[in-house]
Amino acid sequence: MQAGMGDFEATGLPGPPRVPGGAAPLFEASGLRKTYRLGAVTIEALRGVDLVVTRGEFVVVAGPSGCGKTTLFNLLGALDGPDSGSVRFEGSDLGRLTSTEKTLFLRRKVGFVFQSFNLVPVLTAYENVEYPLWIDGLGRDKRKRRTEEALASVGLAGRMHQRPDQLSGGERQRVALARGLVHDPRVILADEPTANLDSKTGAEIVDLLARTNSERGTTFLIATHDPAIIERSPRTVRLLDGRVVADGCAGLSRPGGAR
Amino acid sequence: MKFAVIALRNLARNRRRSLLSLLIVAAGTIGTLLTTGFIRFSFEGLREAIIHGGIGHIEVVPRSGLAESGPSAERSGLPGMTGWQELRSEIEAMPHVLAAGAVVQFTGMISKGERSAAVFAVADEPERERRMRFEVKLRGGTGLPDAPPSEGEDAVLLGTALARGLGAGTGDVLTLLSITTDGTLNALDLRVAGLITTGLQDVDSRIVRMHLASAQRLLGTPNITSLVVGLDDTARTAEVQAELERRLRGRQPSLAVVDWKTRVPFYGQVESLYLGIFWFLGSVIFVLVCLSTSNTLMMSVMERVREIGTLLAIGTSRAQVAAIVLLEALWIGLLGALAGDLLGIALVAAINALGIQMPPPPGATGGIELRLATQPGDFAAGIALMLVILGIAAAVPVSISVRLRIADALRHV
Repeated sequence: MQAGMGDFEATGLPGPPRVPGGAAPLFEASGLRKTYRLGAVTIEALRGVDLVVTRGEFVVVAGPSGCGKTTLFNLLGALDGPDSGSVRFEGSDLGRLTSTEKTLFLRRKVGFVFQSFNLVPVLTAYENVEYPLWIDGLGRDKRKRRTEEALASVGLAGRMHQRPDQLSGGERQRVALARGLVHDPRVILADEPTANLDSKTGAEIVDLLARTNSERGTTFLIATHDPAIIERSPRTVRLLDGRVVADGCAGLSRPGGAR
Repeated sequence: MKFAVIALRNLARNRRRSLLSLLIVAAGTIGTLLTTGFIRFSFEGLREAIIHGGIGHIEVVPRSGLAESGPSAERSGLPGMTGWQELRSEIEAMPHVLAAGAVVQFTGMISKGERSAAVFAVADEPERERRMRFEVKLRGGTGLPDAPPSEGEDAVLLGTALARGLGAGTGDVLTLLSITTDGTLNALDLRVAGLITTGLQDVDSRIVRMHLASAQRLLGTPNITSLVVGLDDTARTAEVQAELERRLRGRQPSLAVVDWKTRVPFYGQVESLYLGIFWFLGSVIFVLVCLSTSNTLMMSVMERVREIGTLLAIGTSRAQVAAIVLLEALWIGLLGALAGDLLGIALVAAINALGIQMPPPPGATGGIELRLATQPGDFAAGIALMLVILGIAAAVPVSISVRLRIADALRHV
């Protein structure tokens, strides 16, 4: 992994700590609180969330709409900052990153997959996937090889020159996944990746995510309330009203637990 | 390079809006081109008309005469420049000098029968004036002969308004009275050879022109008022003036070297007026183009808030996002200005070909043909100006795009 892309030192962060006798923690979130104001109404999106995710895990964060899944993902992905609490990524506090370090963190360490795909409509599938490598300054030949590999890995080798509006929903989500994976990130944060897809296409996407996790060892955090994903997840964290109410293997969730 | 491609493709997303922006920029470019062309034509036309109407590029005049009349075009004191033939030979040997004509200027009283009028007389050498490409605008009769007239054969050209006032026409004999250099009154009979106009009503009502020899005979002196120097290129004026000043330094009696612009303060006033108009029109164009394109860019950014949030989320720096928005603005500026230049070239050619007649300017006697004196540099300047305006217009949209909070932008619907 990370073949030549984004040595961790380049982000200004220290190397990952090791947990004696176990896998290194990737994310360590503790006491996360986040409040939004909508006019006169205050919404407590997160009310003290603790969460540890280790490398290579496939974790589903489940819960009903409005339970705080997207907010938690925004904090884990450094897209937003908590009101209190902290997120450590491979031992480094994301809240202490400078603007440049945060950009490099997003560029090299994390891949996002969004519910609405969020592809750039003026770029072809190939260009969308190539984009993260291009902004990171990778050479043309390496970009081409890795972009084509990423698109092939999601089964879109033959559709790479189509624009997003010429692709089906499933194909767009595959492009989004290829874009998230192309720079070999430590973790993919996928927010409701199957919500806008039919069940068959959604199942295909879940297969793809699971296969990528097992084959490449990429850590996956998936926010969903799709039972098909939850059933297949080795670990499910359940959120309700901004709190973790269960954390464990499917069917063996520990109430209120956190690893 | 890729950001430029993304920016260009973004423009194609809302073609109608982009087209409107391009048209606004093109219209602004055309407006700037036409205004620049018209003002340059006006400046050049007025400048050359002044110079070749008899003022010349440079005047060499005794400082005593300058002190009496100031640096203006008209010198009414008695001619006090001596030894001018040698100086003229020296001046005419200088590079870029076409000729140096001796001029006598004086005031007097001209009469035909019972009618009299005060006049301002300019006496010169027609042959040298022709070498200096001076133009006498005849409105009847003939010009003055090149050869000095013998006694009793003196001829005069009358301003058209002056001729009307005197009831004089070609062939009439008039009497010109003036004070000689020794203070006595002298008279000279002159036959009207032709009628002239200077283009200015005020001057046409009091000007007479005659041969240098006639004036010297009337005033009883071989002296002249000044030497008027004509050049092959107006742009050389300062260079030749400096060289003349260097050569005449220390000479006694002291001589001044005055350029045409100093002698005609009117030109500076016209220049200031036209430049004021130009800047006013330029400001209007600037504001219109800036506001309308800024609005377009703002709409474009606000429609793409979530997309910009996505770009930031996948590692695009805020500077890179700013570059995309700025490049969109610059594309509009470049393409709009290029379109404006192409349309402008066609319009300038059409206007110049049509020969549109403009009404006479205030105080002038004849209309002028509308022509636009554009130069190749104007087209490049039009593009540069529009790029600057669009760069300024992009300031607010760029500022909005780089201040977006990623999480908020991703939630934006």
